[in-house]
Amino acid sequence: MEGHLTGAFPRSEALVEASRAAARGRVSPDELEAAYARDVEALVNLQTQAKVEFVVDGQLNWKDLFRPFSELLTGIRLGGLTRWFDNNTFYRKPIIVDKVRYAGASLDTYFRCSLPHNGARWKAVLPGPYTFAVMSQNTAYSSFGDLIDALAHSLKDVISELKKAGFEYFQFNEPSICFSEPSKNELQLIKQAYEVLVKGIGAKTALHTYFGDAGKVIDSIIDFSTDCIGIDFYATSIASLVEHDFTKEIGCGCIDARNSLLETPDVLRKLIRKVEDDVAPKAVYVTPNCDLEFLPQNIAVKKFHILAEAKETVA
Amino acid sequence: MQKQRKRLRDHTNKLFPVQEIGSLPKPPWLISYLRGRAVEKPELEHLAKWSKISGFEAEKDIRAVLSQPKTAETEKRIRNFASLFAIRFLESAGLDYVYDGEANRIEMYEHPIRHSEGFEFYGHVRSFDDRYYRKAACVRKVGFRDAYHLDEFTYAKQAAKRKIKVPVTGPYTLAEWSFNEFYQRRLADDYHDLSKLKSEAKRELVLDIATQIIRPNLQALVDAGAEWIQIDEPAVTTKPGEIPFFVEAFNESTAGLSCKFSVHICYSDYRVLYPDILELKNCSQLALEFANRDDDTAAAYAQLQLLNEFEDEREVGLGVADVHVDDVEEPSLICGRIKYAVKTLGDPKRIYVNPDCGLRTRSWDIAYSKLSNIAEGAEMARREIS
Repeated sequence: MEGHLTGAFPRSEALVEASRAAARGRVSPDELEAAYARDVEALVNLQTQAKVEFVVDGQLNWKDLFRPFSELLTGIRLGGLTRWFDNNTFYRKPIIVDKVRYAGASLDTYFRCSLPHNGARWKAVLPGPYTFAVMSQNTAYSSFGDLIDALAHSLKDVISELKKAGFEYFQFNEPSICFSEPSKNELQLIKQAYEVLVKGIGAKTALHTYFGDAGKVIDSIIDFSTDCIGIDFYATSIASLVEHDFTKEIGCGCIDARNSLLETPDVLRKLIRKVEDDVAPKAVYVTPNCDLEFLPQNIAVKKFHILAEAKETVA
Repeated sequence: MQKQRKRLRDHTNKLFPVQEIGSLPKPPWLISYLRGRAVEKPELEHLAKWSKISGFEAEKDIRAVLSQPKTAETEKRIRNFASLFAIRFLESAGLDYVYDGEANRIEMYEHPIRHSEGFEFYGHVRSFDDRYYRKAACVRKVGFRDAYHLDEFTYAKQAAKRKIKVPVTGPYTLAEWSFNEFYQRRLADDYHDLSKLKSEAKRELVLDIATQIIRPNLQALVDAGAEWIQIDEPAVTTKPGEIPFFVEAFNESTAGLSCKFSVHICYSDYRVLYPDILELKNCSQLALEFANRDDDTAAAYAQLQLLNEFEDEREVGLGVADVHVDDVEEPSLICGRIKYAVKTLGDPKRIYVNPDCGLRTRSWDIAYSKLSNIAEGAEMARREIS
């Protein structure tokens, strides 16, 4: 059984201190970059030692899920601090002020795949176009459909470049699909956006849902064109998925990234088996329900080890 | 649904009493002293400047303590002086209700958690950008350790020349900002619907914090003579489905206590509070943030209509100054916001005025300017409406 992380990893206490000091001008940009690099290296080592199939760079220098794209894409400027779903964390709302386009900016700063990775393959985690559109303030496009289409094309251009750089798996984080209860029309627009994103990319793709009950939208998203759908089982009951014909892989979000309570191997094994038996997807891979960055790093590392153990023992 | 009419009139018998919401920045000389650093000249100049402006009577005493090595005794004395310093600051800015700027607290979350049983801190989590906070985990059944606001209240009560309102972080916010291990572990056998399990465990945690920690603290304050306690619940709308937990916890915390209680909520769509918030049984005032979202036209204050819509006749603590920007609101703007609120709510006696939230992220200069202008704006409104 496969198992891998789903995105942002918490910063070490050393990086916390370095970033605080840098914000006060007490640490140089080069020193801060060195601190980032140490954390990325440690995270990659953690994953390769656990022999995961896909490694992530942990988005350690991303200030939120959208922030890099205000630099990488045209037409976006930063807005005010806004609550990140139902968490005590905040992001800066992107304000769409002009046509959004990827104009070829270097991606190296925010997508790091140059470290030794022991044969594992690189997974890039990006915002899904729907969540990006919903969580932004649109002042440039006349319709929501035009905005989500533009974001899908821009993200497609980005992942095409990332594929050339060595990434082989693209995961799109879409908490809003479960959290915002999109209309039927919006779900159709999201489906079209994923056709744009995935068509011809020649890499594994996943749509990862979290912060909400995927059972409410599974009817609509089950035939989206990604290879995998990630489910947050701390917000979704297994029973709500059983009536569907799952021809995709399920990312079994069974490690709770929003609570420090460590999962027991026994309960994880039962939960994963239950998903395999009752939902009967094409395959199951083990993941946290969402980014582990909601935890202090020492707890996140423990949870990662639990994930690694679960994928071995359940298999 | 219970119609909310219960409220206490202001003791000062004037319209638009001015109140603070809670925190002020920590004085730089206090920080240096508590960290064992030498207090530098600019910090002493800060002390001198604000002593002069606020009529603070103990500058010489503070200087004497600052010149001594830190001991348990000097630390207690310097903290009390910091309280007095904040009280005089607020009084001189023209406030009718004051407290000590939370000078004795680490901050609104960590302070009560460190003084309660059942929690452990594991490390930092990010709040936004490069800002972090220490998040605790509830690892055992929560419990009362000490009345963590009693000493500061006792000191402030004898020191203040104005009426006092005590801010206390509420049970829902303490629960929401903590990890929940203990109560969730007890329910952990059922993995079929983890969402339901988490929700049940959360309710238990919120209610235990209310009954085991907050209520004894409130009881201690009331026994010591507190007449008005503000329950701070900034997290209350984070998970709208859990607002009933907040209501139940507030009622458990305050039931039967002879004191005026209010609740402070900020940076939220207040619509999600209704109708549940009508069930708060011992709450005389809703102190709400508005200025942060306003554009100088008072449009943000349209949400006050919610109170009319739901026949909620409690007092309103009207946030008229944004605590997240250095731009200082002019008295005329504040006056306009108050008049808008009067026009919306009808009864001017229901309206208190305050900053949106605690001012701890502003400088002392900006905080003072904002508070002084609030007092002046309230006076303008008083003259126009009386």
